[in-house]
Amino acid sequence: MGCEITTRDRAGVINPMYDCQPAGAQYAGIGLKDAIPLVHGGQGCSMFVRLLFAQHFKENFDVASTSLHEDSAVFGGHMRIQEGLLTLARRYPKLRIIPVITTCSTEVIGDDVEGNIKYAKDQIEKEFPGREIYIYAVHTPSFKSSQVGGYTECMLSTWKDIAKQKAEPTGKVNIFPGWVNPGDVVLLKHYLKEFGVEGDIFMDTEDFDSPMLPDKSIHTHGRTSVEDIKASTGALASISLARYEAASTVDYLKNSFGVPGHQISAPYGIANTDALLQKISEITGKPIPDSLVHERGIALDALQDLAHMFFANKKVALFGHPDLVIGLAEFCMEVELEPTLLLLGDDNTRYKKDPRILAMKDKVAWDMEVVCNADLWELEKRVKDPAKKFDLILGHSKGRYVAIDAKIPMARVGFPTFDRAGLYRHPTMGYRGAMLLGEQIANAMFTHMEYTREREWLLNTW
Amino acid sequence: MPMVLLECDKDIPERSKHIYLKVEGEDQRDFLPISNAATIPGTLSERGCAFCGAKLVIGGVLKDTIQMIHGPIGCAYDTWHTKRYPTDNGHFNMKYVWSTDMKESHIVFGGEKRLEKSINEAFDEMPDIKRMFVYTTCPTALIGDDIKAVAKKVMSERPDVDIFCCECPGFAGVSQSKGHHVLNINWINEKVGAVEPEITSDYTINFIGDYNIQGDTQLLQTYWDRLGIQVIAHFTGNAAYDELRSMHKAQLNVVNCARSAGYIANELKKQYGIPRLDIDSWGFSYMAEGIRKVCAFFGIEERGEKLIAEEYAKWKPQLDWYKERLQGTKMAIWTGGPRLWHWTKSVEDDLGVQVVAMSSKFGHQEDFEKVIARGQAGTYYIDDGNELEFFEIIDLVKPDVIFTGPRVGELVKKLHIPYVNGHAYHNGPYMGFEGFVNLARDMYNAKANPLLKLAAKDIRGGKTQFMEAAE
Repeated sequence: MGCEITTRDRAGVINPMYDCQPAGAQYAGIGLKDAIPLVHGGQGCSMFVRLLFAQHFKENFDVASTSLHEDSAVFGGHMRIQEGLLTLARRYPKLRIIPVITTCSTEVIGDDVEGNIKYAKDQIEKEFPGREIYIYAVHTPSFKSSQVGGYTECMLSTWKDIAKQKAEPTGKVNIFPGWVNPGDVVLLKHYLKEFGVEGDIFMDTEDFDSPMLPDKSIHTHGRTSVEDIKASTGALASISLARYEAASTVDYLKNSFGVPGHQISAPYGIANTDALLQKISEITGKPIPDSLVHERGIALDALQDLAHMFFANKKVALFGHPDLVIGLAEFCMEVELEPTLLLLGDDNTRYKKDPRILAMKDKVAWDMEVVCNADLWELEKRVKDPAKKFDLILGHSKGRYVAIDAKIPMARVGFPTFDRAGLYRHPTMGYRGAMLLGEQIANAMFTHMEYTREREWLLNTW
Repeated sequence: MPMVLLECDKDIPERSKHIYLKVEGEDQRDFLPISNAATIPGTLSERGCAFCGAKLVIGGVLKDTIQMIHGPIGCAYDTWHTKRYPTDNGHFNMKYVWSTDMKESHIVFGGEKRLEKSINEAFDEMPDIKRMFVYTTCPTALIGDDIKAVAKKVMSERPDVDIFCCECPGFAGVSQSKGHHVLNINWINEKVGAVEPEITSDYTINFIGDYNIQGDTQLLQTYWDRLGIQVIAHFTGNAAYDELRSMHKAQLNVVNCARSAGYIANELKKQYGIPRLDIDSWGFSYMAEGIRKVCAFFGIEERGEKLIAEEYAKWKPQLDWYKERLQGTKMAIWTGGPRLWHWTKSVEDDLGVQVVAMSSKFGHQEDFEKVIARGQAGTYYIDDGNELEFFEIIDLVKPDVIFTGPRVGELVKKLHIPYVNGHAYHNGPYMGFEGFVNLARDMYNAKANPLLKLAAKDIRGGKTQFMEAAE
């Protein structure tokens, strides 16, 4: 019994869990209002990431490319940055923010991105006097970190460029959830509303779930505006819900503007959500509202029906974003599921010292393995290993064939979940998220029982 | 005048050289949009990169081959789970992708050792697989890793494996088209001629430029079987690596997608004297014409006529049912390139559909020559169209349905225009007789979708102008 922390020992990757840094930077960038990220690199670096977002959200997002070609690889891509920025400024008159996201190729070439931005900004000022567009470099070479680090880098670069002065006190709370779904953003807003607390969710991706309207208007874009970012420096406090995606921006607000920063466990599961609500209460001095105690009770009531009847002793493999995987492992333990394999998909060495993992290590009463820098081949090999047994896989759609081939029920969670309908709309965080995920897991198991005729009669009377 | 400067392009007037509105009486000798030229940065073009043109379109189709991508993780992640090309061995090609996961130290000190280790590991982890493609990417090309030397070393140490190297980083060329070219030429120069196929028929072909999208290859294979024609190699739908090494033994190259694979057909002609025959595999009239041409080459016309008659008897009534209902439908095609000219006339002839706008991501001059020759007057022909142009064109031509990729499909959904996946299909295959009925069915179902009318309705009262237009 106990928890072993290992690392992928192969050099190569078979079936990656995470995309590269520029992809993560683009995800953060599309959360901004009146913004089009400009990816400085080959066209594929933005085209496929846009496709990935479209697969997950069933929506289109605007991301531009400097369309790097051979001549730029030889002589540098200076002109293409300038031309790209000017073209965007001219053709999109409402544009206010352009993060310039670098890639492996342009980092290897060593283009002076900052210098070119400055030149382009001067040109824009000449052409459109008084028009302010925030343009800044986001250095995300693909050969470092992963989409997780890229998201973080774009957040921090955005705040460093836009939030330069301490704003008047707003009395608001900044919440940085990290890379989550619109469903989570809506849930967090709901919590603030129930508290009667003013706050901003960074990034506000609520409209990543956007409607078809009679007037054909398109609202698929981030809601985090220049003003929101500037005002964040005058907030009462910031709360980071994601150690690996949000903490550095919260630290920046703390160190540069004295905004108190709080790092808490990602609010997956009941206890972690309790901690979030207690933290909001502590910061604002407002009591936790009865309505949220009620929501908590509804979730507990639902999960209670599932835990010792269906979930107990079931062995679970989890993969995906680090804060999600760790948070969901904690959730699993609350409902008597046994997380036995956690896969974290990049070379961040801090995972091994994550206090949540160390706490689980002390707590588990079964064999558990945490694989760092893992790929999905690590999952597949363990799932195929007759000495091991998994009852459930929790992860994103890129792992679908592991579950399909091994005939193990899988609940899709995280990013991307393109092979299931509408998941991005539902929260995974909070009481409601825990309840919905618990029920999704149960229903995946029930369907599996029926298709495999494995004690499917249990459900005859449930 | 026929070259069009759209309102959204007033700041990039050179775009007018890429957009052509055909006027009655004109043809491709009068006006031809510029194509295969560099994209203007920041225009929100639809183009991908050369690497994806090689890996995603052609190499990644192979059913028995490891696709080792030498570069950072994104190039592998992004070209995985983006295609629908099944195989008859359980879709090995769609389940896996391999990367050397290059990190900063490899960029600084070189990644050849990393590549060698990754190749050996991949073969060790999957001992049944003996074939591999290795691709360079932007950074590994820039630092100059010699992937061929690494492949050679591994092959000398592992005599039972064979490795093909494809050097086409993302920044090569102006679009994915460059990747098609590099892969075609390198393959024929390095691998064709190495394997002798077993000949089982007097009539042998290579079927070139078909990637088994939703089973296209497998559907057409039933025709070749009924005609008694042996397909030595499919380039590359549902194909095995070694089949493609024996392409030199076919009597005829039948080419569907001339853009992505015309190069290898030309080389097979030049190097081995194998004639090239271009056909269109989408549409009833075209498919029948293609079968007739192939059968005429072999002198087996009766077999061809029999097959065509059987297929017409089986599928034509269904096609006509849809034709009756699709008559006059206005369709836009925004895909890669060749499907513009494959489809424009076949949907017109077979379904009575009018193609009102077409945009090509990576077509070349000959693609535009073909499409303008086949297409109608009053239709827009666009090279490398971008998002603002699409909005403007939609206002101008008001299409009823758009055949394009899923991301653009999501965009036009907000404008109450249904899309059908023009790359990966909705519910294919779309090739062949049965396939074209599928295409017609998907177009009909898209257009008949009741949600579109509901979307146009403003429940606050009164009719919107869009609702009136929809009626």
